Amino acid sequence: MKKTLFSLLALVVIASLSLAACGPAATQGPAATPAPAAVTLKVLVHQNPPMVAFMEAFNKTFQEKHPNITVDMSVVNAGDLSTVSQTRLAANDVDVVDIFGFANAAQPYMKKVDAPNWQQLIEAGLLMDLSDQAFIKNYDEATIKDAGSYNGKVYAINLGRVSYSGIYYNKDLFAANNVKVPTTWSELVAACEAFKAANIACMTAGGKDGWPIFVGAYGLIGAIYPDQAGLVEGLWNGTIKWNDAKSLEMWEKMQIYARDMIEPGASGIPGDGAPGRFASGTIAMYPGGTWNAPAIDEAKPSFKWGFIPFPGSDNAEDNKYLFGKYDQGWAVAANTPNKEAALLYLSEFSEPANYQAFANAVGFIPTQPTAKLDTAIGAEVAPYLANFRVGYEQYWIAPKGAGQFANPWASYFKPYGTDDDPQVLADKVQADLQAGLDAVK
Amino acid sequence: MNYHFGRGWARWTPFLLLLPGLAAYFVIALGPSLATAVYSFTDASGLKGAPVRWVGFDNYQEFLFMGRASVDNLNALGRTLVFCFFVTVIQFGLGLFVAVIINQNLKGRNIFRTLYFMPVILGAVIQGLIWSLFLYPLGGPLARVLELFGTRSEFLGGQPVEAFAWVIVVQIWANMGTTMIIFLSGLQTISTDYYEAARIDGASPWQVFTNITWPLLTPSVNTNLTLNIIGSLQAWQLFLVLLGYRNGTQVLGYLIYATGFGQTSGSVTSSFRQGYAAAASIVLFLLVLVIGTVVQNVLRRREARILG
Repeated sequence: MKKTLFSLLALVVIASLSLAACGPAATQGPAATPAPAAVTLKVLVHQNPPMVAFMEAFNKTFQEKHPNITVDMSVVNAGDLSTVSQTRLAANDVDVVDIFGFANAAQPYMKKVDAPNWQQLIEAGLLMDLSDQAFIKNYDEATIKDAGSYNGKVYAINLGRVSYSGIYYNKDLFAANNVKVPTTWSELVAACEAFKAANIACMTAGGKDGWPIFVGAYGLIGAIYPDQAGLVEGLWNGTIKWNDAKSLEMWEKMQIYARDMIEPGASGIPGDGAPGRFASGTIAMYPGGTWNAPAIDEAKPSFKWGFIPFPGSDNAEDNKYLFGKYDQGWAVAANTPNKEAALLYLSEFSEPANYQAFANAVGFIPTQPTAKLDTAIGAEVAPYLANFRVGYEQYWIAPKGAGQFANPWASYFKPYGTDDDPQVLADKVQADLQAGLDAVK
Repeated sequence: MNYHFGRGWARWTPFLLLLPGLAAYFVIALGPSLATAVYSFTDASGLKGAPVRWVGFDNYQEFLFMGRASVDNLNALGRTLVFCFFVTVIQFGLGLFVAVIINQNLKGRNIFRTLYFMPVILGAVIQGLIWSLFLYPLGGPLARVLELFGTRSEFLGGQPVEAFAWVIVVQIWANMGTTMIIFLSGLQTISTDYYEAARIDGASPWQVFTNITWPLLTPSVNTNLTLNIIGSLQAWQLFLVLLGYRNGTQVLGYLIYATGFGQTSGSVTSSFRQGYAAAASIVLFLLVLVIGTVVQNVLRRREARILG
């Protein structure tokens, strides 16, 4: 047995030596190009049906062009994006992450506030510095600076601005009921009364996700406080109060919005179900974001809709603003083992033709200067773009110690909340805010 | 003295056999719990690589005493106790009632056992989805029933008290099967001789229940009460799935999750505050510890009194 083993070993050694001797001869032939290593690129995005559909098509094309790369894309609800990004970045289990525009940075007048999560991710060294990448030059400089930079370095490319202070309206229902498209608050109230009299629901919203129930109210806040950054500073330094006369007007209108305008039962409609419900043609208006337009079109391509800024004031001039935010962007995990593939992915995505197709698919206001507003929603918002402003919630950070009511949400009113007196609610909101301001003094 | 495992080095065998279990307990349960206690004194964000600073009792001070937010936290603590009370009492009573019924020699009792137990095997997300559909305010099954009476409700999206009550209902529906099974197994350990003797003595069904079934179910009663109390004090998933972060509905378990993972402000940029969430976890732990210890003591004495 031992002898046999020894003979086998000797044979293997001789064979190895013979092959090694043949080595130089092998290099004399044509040089073989090594096949690129197989890479699985893990991409994380938030749920937005038209965007997910576009990304699936983009990924398919990308994989065909780069057969060694397989894109493994996960989709999570927008509300869970930060949590999932945090855990997957920490576990080094993702290469490219969808990240919302950098907002809610601490301002000099704010005391003892926590850094926003994107800043925490950067400071933890979890996002890659993209400053030297050629593709960031495809995006406008202001966007790169405002929505993706920190301490002079670029960590994200932002893919578009969106507005959430507008209302979609059903053109056929307005025409059939002889209702004028409202440009002032009184006209909006009259329009809702006219539709209710005709047994037509005035507005719908995707209230199951929470925030969409009050998204239209951002227009109300904006109409009363067009300088949203100034509003936040005023609230922090006490020059603006949620229970002063100006704010009380806002609460009174919010109550009408929550109680009389939104259809009963809207709190059960999922956020991504509301565009389809509006497109069914039975509802007159839908306060929603510009990102909802592709979903409305997809639900019913023949549906005729328009989009107006929420008319929160009785002075039509105050209602010409659109408030919104920088929406989705891309960032790369700092510790990705697939750096080359991740940067290639972003680089190809950022090519003007691809970006234009993306902007068209999702209805974003483009952040590449060469891109055009080629969409229906683009045409609707174009007249107001000069008056586009970043909204209140992008600046606001509540002081520690503030109560849970320290926000201007219409959902505090019945039937979604417990309040039915604007003055009482205004006092409660201000008291909750003041408690926080006093606590951090 | 005779050792079962022999002499010399062999005497270490039982300790070696305990080692894997103990190691798993340390890694999975005790380790993270101790780490949570340590983290509660820091400003940890939970991000790998992020700096962690020692902040002493600041997190506890903020959670329990800072501004209106601390009042909201204490309200959440109170709501946790209310949730625990209703869930425990109703789930316990209903579980016992159903177990006694389906322990009878009824036709199709296995089908009923399966039906009552089925919600337990569903995850919280599925449970939430089922109830969201059932409570859909625009033409859902319950909305249709209310329509017959000329009324309506927003259910989960409406008044916080109503929304909170629905979570109690779903929690009971989701977990009653476990309570029932524990009672059922307890009932099946009671010898039929007792029942036969009682029948011969002419005892009424109520007398049979109070004098035979109830005392002999004591071990199951203790297990169920302990599990129900601890389970409901720690509940959070159904709050997340059914309600999300809504004023006037949070319990401590959900508050911890929402704070730790940046979901309290409704903003997509909320900071991750796992040090602060860890402090809230310790408060919850102390609550469970105090209530659990008291309940365990009371139950142990009762068991000793009844079963000797």
